[in-house]
Amino acid sequence: MIEHPPLTGLRVVVHASGVAAAYAGRLLSGMGAELVWLEPAEGSALRLEPPFLPGEGQVSALFAYVAAGAESRVCDLTSADGQRAATALLARTDIFIDDTPLAQRAGLGLDEAAIAARHPDLIHVSVLPFGAFGAKADWRGEDIIVQHASGEGNLLPNGLSIELFPERAPVKIHGHFGELQGGIAAALGALSALWARPEVGGQYVDIASQDAMLAVGAFAIQRLGDGSIEHRVERSFRYGGVLPCADGYVELLTLEQRQWEGLVKLLGTPEWALDPALVDGLERSRRGPELNAHIRAWAAVRKVADIVREGQAVGVPLAKYYTPAEVVSDPHERVRGLFAPVDIAGAGVLDMLVSPFQFDGEPLSLRSGPPRLGTAVAEVH
Amino acid sequence: MAKPLTGIRIADFTVHNAGPFCTHLLSQLGAQVIKIESAMRPDAFRKPHPVYGRMGPATFDQVASTKLSVRINLKKAEGVALAKRLVAVADVAAESFRPGVMDRLGLGYAALREVKPDIVMLAVSSSGQTGPDSHFAGYAPLFGAWGGLGELTGYPDGPPVEMRHVMDHTVGMNSAVAVMAALHRRRATGQGALVDVSAREVASSLLGEALLLAAAGATPHRIGNDHPRMAPHGVYPALGEDRWIAIAIANDVEWQALGQMIADPAFADPRFATEGGRHAHRAEIDKALAAWTATIEANAAAERLQAAGIAAHASWTTPEIAGDPHLRARGAITTVQEPDGKLRAAVGVPMRLSKGEDIGIHRGTPALGEDEDYVYGELLGLTRGERQALEDGEVIY
Repeated sequence: MIEHPPLTGLRVVVHASGVAAAYAGRLLSGMGAELVWLEPAEGSALRLEPPFLPGEGQVSALFAYVAAGAESRVCDLTSADGQRAATALLARTDIFIDDTPLAQRAGLGLDEAAIAARHPDLIHVSVLPFGAFGAKADWRGEDIIVQHASGEGNLLPNGLSIELFPERAPVKIHGHFGELQGGIAAALGALSALWARPEVGGQYVDIASQDAMLAVGAFAIQRLGDGSIEHRVERSFRYGGVLPCADGYVELLTLEQRQWEGLVKLLGTPEWALDPALVDGLERSRRGPELNAHIRAWAAVRKVADIVREGQAVGVPLAKYYTPAEVVSDPHERVRGLFAPVDIAGAGVLDMLVSPFQFDGEPLSLRSGPPRLGTAVAEVH
Repeated sequence: MAKPLTGIRIADFTVHNAGPFCTHLLSQLGAQVIKIESAMRPDAFRKPHPVYGRMGPATFDQVASTKLSVRINLKKAEGVALAKRLVAVADVAAESFRPGVMDRLGLGYAALREVKPDIVMLAVSSSGQTGPDSHFAGYAPLFGAWGGLGELTGYPDGPPVEMRHVMDHTVGMNSAVAVMAALHRRRATGQGALVDVSAREVASSLLGEALLLAAAGATPHRIGNDHPRMAPHGVYPALGEDRWIAIAIANDVEWQALGQMIADPAFADPRFATEGGRHAHRAEIDKALAAWTATIEANAAAERLQAAGIAAHASWTTPEIAGDPHLRARGAITTVQEPDGKLRAAVGVPMRLSKGEDIGIHRGTPALGEDEDYVYGELLGLTRGERQALEDGEVIY
């Protein structure tokens, strides 16, 4: 475990009912920042959000993950006392991350002007589905809305899935992918604004999950400028992609010539693959469906583990579609310390993903599991 | 200062998408990013990309924009020495080769610390710098497969779905966060850092709640457009060919508002009055809702639903996004000019800063070696003769 996490000494307060703002705090606390969740008496709505961990307690797996490492302070922001308490807390804070809908902010003392007046050195991060500025600033958005408002939603699925179900509605990426992009952008905005604080003081960072999801989908806009409009049917790989095997799925993607040559070896150098015309990548693309029929027939009777092992040995990019249980028990991730046991009230000690980053060759650590509501309430006053 | 990262300099050895997107974001925030290439190994955007139907070099490359370009032939010892001189005046060195490549070139973390003791080195790779799979080659769909995101995405009765460029780019955006954290530690302690970002671990971090369920013994499976609580929640047909609208009803109030808008007795069914009831009967509700949405233009339906306090948005195509006034007003979509003067849409850095009004793309894609006068001349102080000798020796090449 790392001795000096990079954000040691940084103080972050989160006021969140959604995943985006919560995840921004989680990323920062995972790198060593002290994190406090400011919650109403009934707790953040995220505490009640499924999926729930097995057992009777209705413990939210989502809240447990995004709030791990935080303390919780209860504060009634509709009261003058509560607002004073929040002001006292923010006076000792570097970064404040808030997802209160715009129309409700002034009533809670959380509007941009009020915060800037009281806390000139604070980095105030607003995280909303469509941002705090612009014609849609008051629009509501869940993850599925964010994914479709930013383009990627319309572009999925592709490959085997759309071949099988061409008439179905587009399908979203799992979970909270779009909102999480908002959280990652918020963490980047917060740390960037903090970098400039010695020169310019605190400032207001306006994050839209739509913008963040669009940013990671930037390639579609680039293609538009190149003269092509992407569509989920056409953007499938011409060959390779998701391959059904005897006992699961693998992903195959050969972009370089030597990878194609490796694939031919992996396939046992079949006669069809020795067609001299297939040396040309463009020809392979043109004849993709024909190639894929051969590749799929080959894969269908083989086991995933065998294909991956033999493929990696000859330099063919192949990956098993891991289930969540396989990720958690993956020997590679065990060696790297991606998971660590945390105590989750009502659910016991469970392995949780700590952070997608490592510093100086060491994994990071979590201070704790998710907080019980109001564990640090006395300190507010 | 209108860009927060003004003053930070990055020696950028990254290739493909994930690493370059990281440094691209930082460049839009004000960092000076010096992209290192060579005529022997030019960036992918300078070459044809037949898989995507591009038969020549790109005229604009999103992730290379706002960067400076220099040529260094890293196959030559003098090239490695030149790269080290650049790192010596940089704050960050970023790379995304397979683990071990930078060490073999003589540009590993230990070597770079010798020339810049407090360097922040970012290493982006498919599976991380350590561990039994660290040598694996990979692209976005493979990161998504290893990380679990592909398995959990898709129709419940269909196969997993491959992740595309969003996977690469979220690795890049995550990497930018980690680099900034390392720079803050350097400011506080004087200590540099080796920042190791594994793309498959980034993928896994985006399903942390499902991994926790698995750790508790549950077996989460892909659920398509369903939500574990909300119903209706999905993508519904709108008026027109291949037109869709996403709608999510988060609570009883929104359900009632939806019922008032849609004059269909099905929506008054008492079985649907509670969240649990709606979720149990979601297939039935989806059918009734789709019958309504199919009669209305997607954007008009979204406007009406949002006006009633319901989360909804048309499933937008790329041209709709590029032309959207809201995204344009926010700088999320911006206009860039190509060398021939042609204007085109590009994606801005996803944030607005009250004291950073100049963030974003301020120059297009650099020509190979376009900024050598500045970098080699002004920054490193090489004379014209020294540069010529390096060019003749195919070091600056």
